[in-house]
Amino acid sequence: MTWAAFTSEWTKLRRPTLFFSTFLGLALAASLFVILVFSQATTHGGIVTLHQLAQPNGLVIGVARAAMLLGVVAFGIAASQVASEYSLGTLRQLLVRQPRRAVLLAGKMLGVITFLVLALCFAAVVALIVAVVAAHSRGVSTSAWFTGTGLGDLFRELGDLALAVVGYSVLGMALGQFVRSAVFAVIIGFAWLIAVENIVVRIVPSTQSWLPGQSILAVASGGGEGVSYGHGLVLGAVYLIAAIAAATLVFLRSDITA
Amino acid sequence: MVIGQAEQRTGERSAAPLAVSTDGLSKRFGDRTVVDNVALAIPAGAVCGFVGPNGAGKTTTIRMLLGLVRPTSGSGTILGGRLSEPASYLNKVGALIESPAFYPQLSGRENLKVLARLGRLPLAAVDPVLERSGLLARAGDRYRSYSLGMKQRLGIAAAMLAGPELLILDEPTNGLDPAGIVEMRSLIRSFAGDGITVLVSSHLISEIEQICDHVVMIRAGRLVHQGPVDALRATQQAEYLIAPEHDADRDRLARLLQEAGCTVLPGEGAGVLLVQEGGLGAADVNRLATQYGITLRQLGERTRSLERAFFALTGSKSADVPDDQELGAIR
Repeated sequence: MTWAAFTSEWTKLRRPTLFFSTFLGLALAASLFVILVFSQATTHGGIVTLHQLAQPNGLVIGVARAAMLLGVVAFGIAASQVASEYSLGTLRQLLVRQPRRAVLLAGKMLGVITFLVLALCFAAVVALIVAVVAAHSRGVSTSAWFTGTGLGDLFRELGDLALAVVGYSVLGMALGQFVRSAVFAVIIGFAWLIAVENIVVRIVPSTQSWLPGQSILAVASGGGEGVSYGHGLVLGAVYLIAAIAAATLVFLRSDITA
Repeated sequence: MVIGQAEQRTGERSAAPLAVSTDGLSKRFGDRTVVDNVALAIPAGAVCGFVGPNGAGKTTTIRMLLGLVRPTSGSGTILGGRLSEPASYLNKVGALIESPAFYPQLSGRENLKVLARLGRLPLAAVDPVLERSGLLARAGDRYRSYSLGMKQRLGIAAAMLAGPELLILDEPTNGLDPAGIVEMRSLIRSFAGDGITVLVSSHLISEIEQICDHVVMIRAGRLVHQGPVDALRATQQAEYLIAPEHDADRDRLARLLQEAGCTVLPGEGAGVLLVQEGGLGAADVNRLATQYGITLRQLGERTRSLERAFFALTGSKSADVPDDQELGAIR
């Protein structure tokens, strides 16, 4: 039954406007970060040095820097996919065909998550090609990138990014479920992730270890100064489980009047 | 058990089993009672009109039947499944709830595929329902390019997708032009020919009258009447529109009829009188007039309409939203 809800969701997700704008948008965002990293790199400093870019993990440095942007975009798309079912009124049609609400929600979540992870994979492939071209243009050696160590770093980083996208997507869908308006869900989500958390962390630095966005960001970047990878992974999982549970509970109990 | 109880409440035991029966169905939003103790009994195979003014509780009732809104109290059975377990019967139900709602950037066909996949229905079922609703030629166009009539027809196609035994249509003619209304009427009638039970709601009683053989009337959340349309019409006393040949005889004629026990009101048009009650037939009215030397230029029975029946049952003169006093009574 969840498979039916999943395939139904994909029928919507693969509509050309959403499909191409998401895949190309994420690819463009990731590529821009790669270009920015390579164009700003110098021999002695800046965002990153040319020497660092020639290391085995140099291939993924640019993509990793785009984690926050990719996550925010994933959050917005996921939130609007859920909330728009209310604003369009399509949810009532869906629930007549699939009255088991938990099944419908699970299928939708799986559909949106796979869609966004695939979009991330596509964006990563494009960004890596851009990275190779940018490396040649800046005279950065790429020989270390395609060694066993380099490819290991690449897949580990992509895995972390995929986990982060899953996290942002789930948070987005949960918020969309609560707010029931695509516009409000996106505004609230963006404001929280981009502004509120950063302001809170600046005022009370110790909160960095406990905020949902910071936890997911720590996973995306393989652990940071304020939050370790393991802590981010565990805390992020707790937030996601809580978000899924709350969204499911609200969905199961709410009257559909839209 | 519930079916039997419902049959008793209608006051007439029908041989047909009930497609929909509810018992004490109520819904409150906060302290506002929207649906109050409604006991529906809709025979299988009927084309049932669900009539009431705007705000009477029709859509909320329909949403409860479809599992979208949880009843505050009450129970029911739909196609043999319990109302509290919508999954047990919704695979045999098709519905168009209020305005049609689809994904604007998908084509009509893709929109139906979304629903077919979700309901685990064969995708081969999509084109036949598009053809039946007259949309096959435009099935590949985006939904947002559809006219209102086409959107409504896509809604009907979506409702037909599961090959339903029960079709619930909430205000299906809303916003349609006269030609669209005629088309919709004929489409709904065709479902009855297929043996599908149809529950069609409308605030336009005259609209329901033209397509339904059974009617449920609701006002301010309460059930006013349910039963066959013909039986309801038959309860209406005859009314006549009469006019004397000479306008000068109008007042005298009115007085004679009043003395005979009739209620006489001004009718539409110069010199026309509306004669109610009194137990007089058309021949009696004509004989009375002739006896006093009054020649009639017009004598006709006024059509017994559901609208009049509704007003008579509710004591209301308006088919629309109840006035504040009435709303206050249910708050």
